[in-house]
Amino acid sequence: MSANIHDIHDQHHHTPSGLMRWITTTNHKDIGSLYLWFSLLMFFIGGFMALIIRAELFEPGLQLVIPGFFNQMTTMHALIMIFGAVMPAFVGLANWQIPIMIGAPDMALPRLNNWSFWILPFAFTMLLSTLFFDSGGPAAGWTLYPPLSLQGGNSMPFVILSIHLLGISSILGAINVIATILNMRAPGMTLMKMPIFIWTWLITAFLLIAAMPVLAGAITMLLTDRFFGTSFFTASGGGDPVMFQHIFWFFGHPEVYILILPAFGIVSTIIPAFSRKKLFGYDSMVYATASIALLSFIVWAHHMFTVGMPLAGEIFFMLTTMLIAVPTGVKVFNWVATMWKGSMTFETPMLFALAFIILFTIGGFSGLMLAMTPADFQYHDTYFVVAHFHYVLVPGAVFAIIAAVYYWLPKWTGKMYSESLGKLHFWLTTIFVNVTFFPMHFVGLAGMPRRIPDYPVQFADFNAIASVGAFGFGLSQILFVYILYNTLKKDVTADDKVWDGAEGLEWTLSSPPPYHSFEKAPRVE
Amino acid sequence: MTNLKKTYLSISIIVIFMFSFSYMLVPLYDIFCEITGLNGKTNQEKIVGINEVNTDRFVTVKFTSTVAGSEPFNFNPMENEMIVEVGKIYTTSYILTNNTNSLKQITASPSVVPGRDAEYFKKIECFCFTQQQINGKETKELPLQFVIDEDLPLNTKTLILSYTMFNTTDQLGAK
Amino acid sequence: MKNYLYMLALALPAEIMADWEVNMPRGVTPTSEIAYDIHMLMFWITVVIGILVFGVMIYSIIYHRKSVGHQPAKFHESTKVEIIWTVIPFLILVVCAVPATKALIMMEDTSDAGITLKVTGYQWMWEYEYLEDGVNFFSKIDNESNRARRLNSGQNVNNVDNYLRNVDNVVVLPTDTKVRVLLTASDVIHAWWVPELGGKKDAIPGYVNELWINIKKPGVYRGACAELCGKDHGFMPIVVRAVPKMEYEKWVTLQKDNRVAETKGN
Repeated sequence: MSANIHDIHDQHHHTPSGLMRWITTTNHKDIGSLYLWFSLLMFFIGGFMALIIRAELFEPGLQLVIPGFFNQMTTMHALIMIFGAVMPAFVGLANWQIPIMIGAPDMALPRLNNWSFWILPFAFTMLLSTLFFDSGGPAAGWTLYPPLSLQGGNSMPFVILSIHLLGISSILGAINVIATILNMRAPGMTLMKMPIFIWTWLITAFLLIAAMPVLAGAITMLLTDRFFGTSFFTASGGGDPVMFQHIFWFFGHPEVYILILPAFGIVSTIIPAFSRKKLFGYDSMVYATASIALLSFIVWAHHMFTVGMPLAGEIFFMLTTMLIAVPTGVKVFNWVATMWKGSMTFETPMLFALAFIILFTIGGFSGLMLAMTPADFQYHDTYFVVAHFHYVLVPGAVFAIIAAVYYWLPKWTGKMYSESLGKLHFWLTTIFVNVTFFPMHFVGLAGMPRRIPDYPVQFADFNAIASVGAFGFGLSQILFVYILYNTLKKDVTADDKVWDGAEGLEWTLSSPPPYHSFEKAPRVE
Repeated sequence: MTNLKKTYLSISIIVIFMFSFSYMLVPLYDIFCEITGLNGKTNQEKIVGINEVNTDRFVTVKFTSTVAGSEPFNFNPMENEMIVEVGKIYTTSYILTNNTNSLKQITASPSVVPGRDAEYFKKIECFCFTQQQINGKETKELPLQFVIDEDLPLNTKTLILSYTMFNTTDQLGAK
Repeated sequence: MKNYLYMLALALPAEIMADWEVNMPRGVTPTSEIAYDIHMLMFWITVVIGILVFGVMIYSIIYHRKSVGHQPAKFHESTKVEIIWTVIPFLILVVCAVPATKALIMMEDTSDAGITLKVTGYQWMWEYEYLEDGVNFFSKIDNESNRARRLNSGQNVNNVDNYLRNVDNVVVLPTDTKVRVLLTASDVIHAWWVPELGGKKDAIPGYVNELWINIKKPGVYRGACAELCGKDHGFMPIVVRAVPKMEYEKWVTLQKDNRVAETKGN
């Protein structure tokens, strides 16, 4: 892209052109862009699967797919969205933003960076190819609970191998982030002066290196159970299927925060910029993020209250889970306090950030309800849970990613997106996201289990509404692609400091920034 | 760049540690289960050198059975229910019939409810300790000798012992 | 106005009303009632917090905007305020935790049960066994639903009576009796769930779980498997018919007689 302009100035730097440039690149901006484009592609593939699901659920009775394929769709949709869309998008943002926010020329380990991206296309090709196997793709849910997942067809080893690759890619990405943040900050930028987005990513990276290896262990055990005669999870050999759930969620709950902490960082960056006021309670934001991360390792069993835990276990996990509401609440209060008595304007990134606060909080509320074990016995594995985690992941994580793209796009490309189209995109997305996911609370409470391809007729109306919303949401995202295209082909240039209220080193660079972001480290304060 | 190398090294150690930690969770989980009676897991070990005691306290023990994977077996307790004195040794058995024509390897997995009391259900002799064989069309009596530990909480009046019978003939690496 | 709405509600056929069910059923057992109460308690707490937080936020959006000429204030921290909004939510949570913990202790107490019902999950049906009475049978989706559910079955599922909620053999349980339900599975993990009878529990192969129910009101209660168990996970409904004790005794005798007749017939 635009980085070529600076290659002329960088005479000593010879980059190959065309495809080879992207394959061999070690530049943090190129890799960041690759991650973001890849994530967008995966977002559409995973979204397409979601639409197959919603089309089947539009009315009771089976009209489009058989139940086995439906289960493959729910499984794949989750794997693609979590590992293919949201995580790579955050890594892409980290690649673009970390060096230019901490005053570094590039990431600390550029070749590793290249490798961690280029693992992804292979991993996902393998994962998606299982859909074309005779026995079909994985159909036991993304959580891969045995013994059901052990029953799967030939796809299982391929799925496990691709999850291993994704895990390796994430770990390498996290190593790079930690190494960069700890070693390459501009002089004068102490830890407590780092931009909040950097803080959230540093904590996320530590979560990644602590959680992903545990997932690797769990799925390796599944693999050896299936092919090498171990019996970690089979009762006939003295194993226990519930143990998989414990190990899986020991990874799984930190994973949930891996998907949301960088989003907190983004919102904490955007809200002050458009309120023209410093972030309220920076220190407590950092401590809140860190305590959420620590707590995430002792709450895992709240995903499995119905497995028949001892009473003490149920009480312990209920209390620790409720405790998470405290630091999360602090964050929401701090955002509102940042807006309070500010001087707000409502450009597209701000709109997405505001919607994030409201809708993520609604997801947090249902999360608090789910934490209450006695009530969770009713909520567990119903559409109430589906509504809950989609509220924290779609208007949560995804909205934050979209907000970040609008916020930094003018910086990355040197071109301004169309504000009116951006606002249209915002309103369509926000309306449809609620039309899709809000009715799911109702059918869930009324007793509709999740992961079913067909349902009793009493759930028909709300499901029809949710399906209409899902198609509206999906189609609205085509507008997003058009906005990106429209921005890139423009020749109107953006200012270096795009937003008058924005703070941070990235705004001292030109738009687009030079190939090696900070050749000379800036001095902070 | 030594700082960078140090960071790199320490992170790699965390990664390797966490991977091994996932395997360490396996024995940890077993210990956890034994302490809390999670899943009604009972001690699979043979209890030796038990001394009978008079407690004059009686509890009901119910027996039930499940055949895993709809195998062509009939598997039922000899007695559905026993009134037993806590601290005394009792003997009962399960009856297994193999309705196929071929030799089968079998394993039984025990489970006790209420799970928190599983540790007080002590087995002196049990067919669940080892893998067994049964010939085609054979009916076999599988003996069980047990004692209810005198430390059983006073509010427990009923214990239920369940066995799930697995056909492990074709299973890779079955014990 | 209220009367008018009430009449309007009466005028609507019950079927249509049921279609727009938006809340958890209160159910007919002590466990379902307590789950409902805690659900509603948490719901109202979150509604109040939501109104306060979003209220402040919306006020700020309306009055503290640049277009109305609001100048940004300079403050960006206040230890006092931050401590307050850490402590207050914490106290609210403590208040919620007390009834929830009490409820859990009550829910997990399976002692002194009158009868024991053993439920075994299969791909894709249930087996029920009455431990004390020696009655056992399988229960799977009824034929009519099973035909209509096929892809391109050509049948309008709206015309099927209790589509996906009906079974061939109904579980019969006595009212006002503490029933201990044992749960296990033959193949993969299932979960037995009838919303009106309270929460669900997983049925795990090789292990036995338990829960208890005490049905206060005779009636027919419908549920389904709640843990993904393979391709027909959505098609293994549960139907429980709760009847007074006397009637239950008669039913058990009838089942036993039928069984004897069956064995003789063979």
